[in-house]
Amino acid sequence: MNTLGLIGLSHKTAPVEVRERVAFTESEVPQALGELCRDFGFQEGLILSTCNRVEILGGLSNGGRPFDRLQQFVRSYHGLRESELDGYVYMLEEGDLIRHLFRVASSLDSMILGESQILGQLKRAYSLACDAGTSGKSINIVLPQAFSVAKRVRTETKIAFSKVSVSSVAAELARKIFGNLEGRTVFLIGAGEMSELAARNLLKSGAEKILVANRTGRRSKTLAEQFRGTAVRFSDIERFLPFSDIVLVSTGAGSFILDHDMVERTIRRRRYNPLFIIDISVPRNVDPRINEIENVFVYDIDDLESVVAAGMEDRQKEAEEAEKIVTEELKSFLSVREMNHLGCIIQSLRSTLEEICLSELKNFPDLDEKERNQLERCLKRTAHRIAHPLIQEIKNPLAHPVERRRKLAVLKQAFNLKDPE
Amino acid sequence: MATLLFNAAFGFYIVGLFHSAVGFLTKKPVFFRVAFLSVLVAFCLHSGFLVVRGLEQSAFPLVEIRELLAFFAWTVTLCFLLAHRRYGFHALGLFLLPLVAALMMGTVFVQAAPAPDLLRNSWVYLHTTAIFLAYGLFLVSFVIGILYLVQERELKARKPRTFYDRLPSLGVMDELFQKSLIWGFTFMTVGLLAGILWAGQTWSGSWYRDPKVIAALGTWGIYLLLLYVRLSAGWRGKWVAWISTFGFISVLFTFLGASYFGGQHIFE
Repeated sequence: MNTLGLIGLSHKTAPVEVRERVAFTESEVPQALGELCRDFGFQEGLILSTCNRVEILGGLSNGGRPFDRLQQFVRSYHGLRESELDGYVYMLEEGDLIRHLFRVASSLDSMILGESQILGQLKRAYSLACDAGTSGKSINIVLPQAFSVAKRVRTETKIAFSKVSVSSVAAELARKIFGNLEGRTVFLIGAGEMSELAARNLLKSGAEKILVANRTGRRSKTLAEQFRGTAVRFSDIERFLPFSDIVLVSTGAGSFILDHDMVERTIRRRRYNPLFIIDISVPRNVDPRINEIENVFVYDIDDLESVVAAGMEDRQKEAEEAEKIVTEELKSFLSVREMNHLGCIIQSLRSTLEEICLSELKNFPDLDEKERNQLERCLKRTAHRIAHPLIQEIKNPLAHPVERRRKLAVLKQAFNLKDPE
Repeated sequence: MATLLFNAAFGFYIVGLFHSAVGFLTKKPVFFRVAFLSVLVAFCLHSGFLVVRGLEQSAFPLVEIRELLAFFAWTVTLCFLLAHRRYGFHALGLFLLPLVAALMMGTVFVQAAPAPDLLRNSWVYLHTTAIFLAYGLFLVSFVIGILYLVQERELKARKPRTFYDRLPSLGVMDELFQKSLIWGFTFMTVGLLAGILWAGQTWSGSWYRDPKVIAALGTWGIYLLLLYVRLSAGWRGKWVAWISTFGFISVLFTFLGASYFGGQHIFE
């Protein structure tokens, strides 16, 4: 097992100006991970960089403390001076680190409690580390566990925003802008579960027409049929924008599909009738500057979720419930890990003792086959008998963990037992 | 009798204002219902006051300045009741009722001589009634324009705070703004025409040199411009709210300020 250490800055510890300076873009991450492992001696590494947090996880095999090296890495990568990050960075190891990862994945450490994106971002960070070959034994155990904790939190508490609540808030906002949705036109650009849910909600609230544009024409046609709407070619988006009141964008494009000038032209052609644009895509498909245009309202997924949060009561109670789950999971994770560790030590103690005893065999070179087997069995039994009380002692479930660790350490030293890999 | 009705109406307005404010803070619909009912009672008493006053004087009751202030308040109240009932615009109470109360208070403090016989004329009655209906509607559109901006800013900021739940949708406010504007403009046009016809016959010298007439035409021009950009170019939001603010300042000037420059619009 490698010793993991994590340093990070989040919206709770550092202002956005500082976070920006240490952020990594997704395309930088593989190279940065390579540097972390090659130049700073880490066996494993993972980088999570979002607009609200930057966290770097590193694992060392020789049991050294990883924090100094991690800090050096951040400073050298971003060209920062010695003291520039002082006071902004948190450093975590052992149980605290695992609890932190569980909480981050469950969105309990997020600016908007329960938001849905962080889990995806963490999964992405993990897959980048896997691709870069920097996820090792420790990360491969901790991260998947964090994902499963997050899943449990999402299903067992109401902390996470359901897609339903987010899409219904989109319809509520549309009503707040237009008053009455009757006769309004919804333009679906790209498709996804959430935007389809939102479109359905808008139709239920009275919206009349649906336009659908998708990169793949066939998908547009099926969607259009499903909603009894009209399929529009992707290249014709601007032509149909002026006729749309509510635009739902969710494509996988890496760039802006709606840009500032296009919407400015559109709003003039709409004679300044309000236009409500909902951007459900990550990364965003709608230039956020568009919100500055008069009578245009742009909401992305974060905005929608913060509206849901503002309207929700009892979130604190749900958060406490979620924290309980995290604590419970942490306990069981740590105890499983300790048991595994213990199992390995016991195994290695048994084999060491066996080796010592069996080494006596070579003092009896003249024994025949049968006698030799008998003696071997006898020596093995002796080894097991010696091991038994020792194993009982370290496995004692009533012993205090600290006491147990101390005994384990003595045993390891006495028999020169290796830490399990 | 008239004084009694007036005082009772004032009392009910205050009750309505109080409940509107509590309703606005707590968002509990029961307070809005109480507010609506008290304002409805106050409105009936208020209407009764205007009728009784006319009966007591055996003359049309909308000529003298105090009567006109009371009528101004009556128009604003009528708008509030309609917006509340038809559009569920509950929050409007908190913003309109203080103005109604202030106008009612104004009638107590303003000194005025009884109207001279010269003004006892159907053209004058039409003129004052239409003009003050217009002023009331302009006041309402001014307030709604500001509230539209507030709600728009909150939606733009993407952080629903104080007003998000409390104000109706932009669509509703825009519709009410436009309606009060069109009606206000129509009444003002009628009122101005009636006034000009009467002044052309009665006044010595040219009616168009009178400061109040010039101010009123200026105000009319501002609202004409506002209607033009609203209806033909489709403007809404910030600029429209600004023009309507400017228009209402012009209304106040026409009503209160223009007489300082003399002219024939002062009747004693």
